[in-house]
Amino acid sequence: MLPDFTSYFILLERIFAIVGTGLYLIFAIVIVKQVSMMTKNVYDKFNGVVIIFSYIHLLLSLLLVLMSIVWP
Amino acid sequence: MTRAKDLDTVAPDDVVEVKKNQVIKKSEIINPTTSKDFGEAKSVDAKMAAFRQKIYDVLGHTSHPLSSFLVKPHVFTFTEQDQEEEIILVMRPHWFTNVSWVLTTFFMLAVPTLIRFIPVWTGISLKYQTLGILFWYMITLAFALESFLSWYFDVYIITDERVIDIEFKNLLDKKFAEAKISMIQDVSSRVAGVSQTMFNYGDVRIQTAAEIPEICFERVPNPDKVIKVLQMMRQEEEQEAIDGRVR
Repeated sequence: MLPDFTSYFILLERIFAIVGTGLYLIFAIVIVKQVSMMTKNVYDKFNGVVIIFSYIHLLLSLLLVLMSIVWP
Repeated sequence: MTRAKDLDTVAPDDVVEVKKNQVIKKSEIINPTTSKDFGEAKSVDAKMAAFRQKIYDVLGHTSHPLSSFLVKPHVFTFTEQDQEEEIILVMRPHWFTNVSWVLTTFFMLAVPTLIRFIPVWTGISLKYQTLGILFWYMITLAFALESFLSWYFDVYIITDERVIDIEFKNLLDKKFAEAKISMIQDVSSRVAGVSQTMFNYGDVRIQTAAEIPEICFERVPNPDKVIKVLQMMRQEEEQEAIDGRVR
């Protein structure tokens, strides 16, 4: 009789999802950090828009991490 | 501290005693409006202003704030800028260089629609399918944002004193290079390929006598104008050196 791999497969999916979204969150934090640093170095008209976009991106990645953890 | 009048006999840091109630004679005060030097300075300033106007005539004017070729931008500043330093030209890589990543982004957006036809995909639970698609869209957003930021913060600046190259590649690699205009030795440009010829953009290489031997403005619009302006700026700098107005 073959062992049931379904539960292992689901566990593997979950681990992949959490690790993947976690790494992505780190990347989003790096973007925010770099954008704030660069906007201090170079001041241009669209800096505000770029900063807002980087924070939206961070917020979305945070939601994705929460989703991968909490989602039943 | 009062400065000594006879600078040949007094050391620069010596303090000179001034008696109280000492009245300065009227003839000792130089009237700037009648001074001959002032008149000469005024004419030199007018000459330099006319020269600077010639440079702006060559460059034309900017029509869009997100343009890759910003002439005398009013809003733009950078940290290393001196108070008296005037920004003449700010450049970014030509807009056409963005086409490849924009097309790639559209292709990436279409991937979740195409992936449904792969048999392995249907074996994954619906929950993780949704999460996977959302994750993919986030990767697409990150790719687009990173590509845009690499373009937006890849800035080349020509001021009245120096040329500056600020680069921001792959989010983790920041580069700042500058060379004084008086240090520029040779300037060359290269327009290669169909797109560069069609849209008139290319590389401008600036050889310097400074610590950084070469500064390269990559894929900038109107390289011929950039070369012309750098040539004029060098002439202006030489004239300033002759006039003894080097900052």
